[in-house]
Amino acid sequence: MPDLLESADAGRRNRALETAYSAVPLAPKQAAPASEPVLLFHHVSKWYGPVIGLNQVTLELRPGITGLVGHNGSGKSTLLRLAAGQMKPDLGRVDVAGVPAWTSEAKRHIGYCPELDTFYEEMSGRRFVQAMARLVGYTRAEAHRRTENTLELVGMRDRADRPLAGYSKGMRQRIKLAQALLHDPELLLLDEPLSGIDPIGRRESIELFRELSRRGKCLLISSHELDELEKLTDHIAIMASGRIAAVGTLTQIRELLDDHPLTIRIASDQNRMLACILLEWDDVVGLDRDDRFLKVRARNPRRFFQQLGETVLDRMIEIQHLETIDESTQDVLGYLLSGK
Amino acid sequence: MPNLLQYRAWQGTFHSEWWSVWPIARVALGTLVSRWLFRIVGVFSLKLFLMFFFGAYLLAWFETQASAPQLGNFADAGRMIRGIRRAMQILNGSQDTFQYFFAYQGAIVVVMLSLVGSLVVGNDFTHKSLVFYLAKPINRWQYLAGKGLAVFVVVQIMTTLPALVLFAQHAFDDWDYLLNIHYFTDTVDGKGPAGILLLFAILGYGTLLSVFLSIILVATASWARRTIPLIMVWLSLFFFMRILANLLVDGLRYDPRWRLIDLWNNLTMLGQGMLGFASDDIQPKFRPELWEASLVLFGVSALCLIYLNLRTRGVEIVR
Repeated sequence: MPDLLESADAGRRNRALETAYSAVPLAPKQAAPASEPVLLFHHVSKWYGPVIGLNQVTLELRPGITGLVGHNGSGKSTLLRLAAGQMKPDLGRVDVAGVPAWTSEAKRHIGYCPELDTFYEEMSGRRFVQAMARLVGYTRAEAHRRTENTLELVGMRDRADRPLAGYSKGMRQRIKLAQALLHDPELLLLDEPLSGIDPIGRRESIELFRELSRRGKCLLISSHELDELEKLTDHIAIMASGRIAAVGTLTQIRELLDDHPLTIRIASDQNRMLACILLEWDDVVGLDRDDRFLKVRARNPRRFFQQLGETVLDRMIEIQHLETIDESTQDVLGYLLSGK
Repeated sequence: MPNLLQYRAWQGTFHSEWWSVWPIARVALGTLVSRWLFRIVGVFSLKLFLMFFFGAYLLAWFETQASAPQLGNFADAGRMIRGIRRAMQILNGSQDTFQYFFAYQGAIVVVMLSLVGSLVVGNDFTHKSLVFYLAKPINRWQYLAGKGLAVFVVVQIMTTLPALVLFAQHAFDDWDYLLNIHYFTDTVDGKGPAGILLLFAILGYGTLLSVFLSIILVATASWARRTIPLIMVWLSLFFFMRILANLLVDGLRYDPRWRLIDLWNNLTMLGQGMLGFASDDIQPKFRPELWEASLVLFGVSALCLIYLNLRTRGVEIVR
C-alpha cells in the first residue's frame, strides 16, 4: 500500500542523497580493496585501570549493517570509541580501511555519531555541522555545500538555523547524524541513533541507513532498540563482559545455541500424527499440544526443518501454520546474556 | 552484500590538519562573544583603553595650560598643573604608559578568563563534546591549539591591539616618537625606548601574556571544568599566591626568590624587562632575577602541556 506520509519526504531525501553522492565524479574506491575489511579488530584489549573494558576482541566488518547489542557495561561504547579512533587499544590492533583507527587518514573514512547530545547550545545546527565540515579539511565553499546536502539528507535543512538549545532529542539525533555523514565516510559508527526519534523519523532514519548500506557503506549500529534493529539488519554482534559473545546473522547465532532449543509453533491438519512423529526425533527435546498448535522445542534447527519438510511431504501432512517464537534478537540476546 | 566499488571519494584537496585549528578557535570565540559576561567585561576593558587614549589628549591640554599666561593670576595654579602633569606622565606613550596599560588590562583579562574559561574549554570535557572534535581528522594537539588560539586572540584583542592603537596615536601625534628610539631620553625627564624598539616590546609583552594565559587557561579549565572551581583556581594562582609571596618576602623577609610563586609578578617583571626598564627600576624592589622568572613560567607552561597531553588522552575513560 502506498505510504502517503512517506512519498514526499522520501523523494526529497533520495534527491538529497543523490546530490550528496553525485556532486563529485564517480571514482573507483580508493580506500581499501574489496577483500579488505572496512573495520578490523585484531585481538584488541582495553583496560580502564584495573577494569577491563574490552577483552581480546577480534572482529571484521565489511560493507553492510551490523547491529551491536549487549547490556550496559558490556563494552559496546568502548568498542565504538576504539573503532572511531578516540582511543588506542592497550593490546591488539584496530584498523579502518587498512590503517590504524586513531590516525587522521583513518578518520577520513569514519563517521561517528556518539550517544551524547550536548553541543554548543547557543550555536545553530547549521553552524555546528559547517564547523565540523571545516574540521574535516574542506574548503569553505565545499563545507557549505556538504552542510546543506547532509542537512537535506537528514531532513533538517529548514530547521537548522535555530539554536541547538531549542532542539528536541530527535532533532539533535539528526544533527549528529548530519555531522557524521558530511564527509561521505565508508564506516559509520552510530551509537543509539534511533533513541528519542519519533516513529516517522525512525522510519526515515532506517530507510537512510538501508540506502547507505546499499551504497556500500559499512554501518555499525549500537542500539537498545532491538525491535528497530531487527527491522534494519539481521547481522548482529553480541557483546558481553567486554567480549564478543557472537557475530553473525540471528539464524546463525540461534543455531549455535544448543543449550536453548528453538521453540517452533506448528499447526497442521494432522496434529496428533505429527506429534507422534516428532517425538521420535533426537533433535526434539520437548513438545506441548493444545487445541490448535504443537509447540515443539528442537535442537539443531537447520536439521529439524529439513527433516520436517521431508516428513510432511512423505506423509502428506498439510502445514497450516509454522513460526519460530524465540528467534528474535531479544530472545537470542536473553539466552546469550542471561542464561534464560 | 554490496561492495565498495560505488564509493565516491571527494576529488578535491583537503586542507592540512593544522588548518582545522582556526575553525576550532572560531567556534570557541563565537561561544565567548555570545555570552553577556564577556561583553560586560569587554566594556570595562574598552573603558580603560579609552581612559588611556583620551588621557593622552588631556595630558597635551595640561601641557598647554601649564604655560598659559592667563593662569598667572592664580597663585597655585601653575604648581597644581605641574603636579597633575607629573601624575599624568604615565600617559605620555613611554614604557610607563604601556607597563601600566598591560598591568590594568591584564588584570581585566585574568578576571574575564577565569569567568568564561569553562565555556571555552571546560564544557568540552564536562559535556564530552570533545568526542565530536576528535572523531574528525585532527589530533588532540590540534584541538588544544585551536582552543589556545581562541584565548590567544581574546588576550591579544584586549591587550596588544589597544596598546598598538595607543602607540599609533602617539606616533601620529609626533612622528619623531616612531622614528627616534631615543625620543624619551632626549627629553628632560623621559626614559626608556621609543620607536621600533618600543613597538617590538609591546608585541613581545602582549605575546608573552597571551601565550602564557592561553596555556594555563586551557590546562586549568580542562582540570576544573566548571566556572566556580575555575575561578577558585585562578584566584589561588593570581591573587592568593601574590598575597602569600608579598607576605613571605616583604613581611617575613624571606628570600626574594619566594616571589617566584607569584606567576603574575613573574609576567609583569618580564614585561618590564621587555619594555626596557633598567634593572633598578623594575618593580618590586626585592625580587628574583628575570631569568629565574622566565624559568618558572617556562616550567609551569611545560607542566600544563604535559597535563593536557595526559588529560586529552584519557578523556574517553568511563567514570
